[in-house]
Amino acid sequence: MWACSRPWRVGRMRGIQMITRRPIDPAVVLASVSDDSAGGTVMFLGTVRNRSHGKAVAGLEYDVYREMAEKSMQAIEQSVRKRWRVKKVAMVHRYGALKVGEVSVAVAVSSEHRADAFRACRYAIDTIKGSLPLWKRERLEGGVESWVKGTRIRR
Amino acid sequence: MRVKVLYFAAARDAADSRGETFVLPDRSSVGDLSAEICRAHPAMKAMSRSVRFSVNLELVETARALRESDVVGVLPPVAGG
Repeated sequence: MWACSRPWRVGRMRGIQMITRRPIDPAVVLASVSDDSAGGTVMFLGTVRNRSHGKAVAGLEYDVYREMAEKSMQAIEQSVRKRWRVKKVAMVHRYGALKVGEVSVAVAVSSEHRADAFRACRYAIDTIKGSLPLWKRERLEGGVESWVKGTRIRR
Repeated sequence: MRVKVLYFAAARDAADSRGETFVLPDRSSVGDLSAEICRAHPAMKAMSRSVRFSVNLELVETARALRESDVVGVLPPVAGG
């Protein structure tokens, strides 16, 4: 786990933002937004579901345009900061092969008061879904594979 | 001029390639490149209306003019999260 091999320094200036092939450790994402001036922290975890449109899912394979996705994450943080008063913003998205139950995406936001953290976290995950160059391929039980129907990428 | 094209997800399947270089007349646009890509890979035609393009990591419209050495991403509809 990258979380263990890269120890986290408390008091870092920014939350983690990265695209990674390795398993996501939610505790590390959470720790990266800790801030003494924050009174609330909200985290969202996206996980691989075992069913899709009534069919049993064996796993997912994510493809990503990594450099562009990491740049898009920076743009999302800027846009969060224009809208709400937040302390730190973390966004981590995995790619490669994932099994049912594994974390595919984590978003964490800390703020002085909870309302800003809830709204900013919701906005960040919704924006990640529509604006990051990421694609998922579903592997169904029985061996059928297909790209999940997506939405046209927007800024 | 020469531009580098990168294919992702369903576009990679349609082009049967991760990426390749195209040689285009000067002052070509992203739309011109898109037409060239469809000529080279007829399987791309079916998705050409839903695809968007990036130039040097930035999302662009098809009217965008290309320059020597630009890196163009061919981006099918996205499904992250």
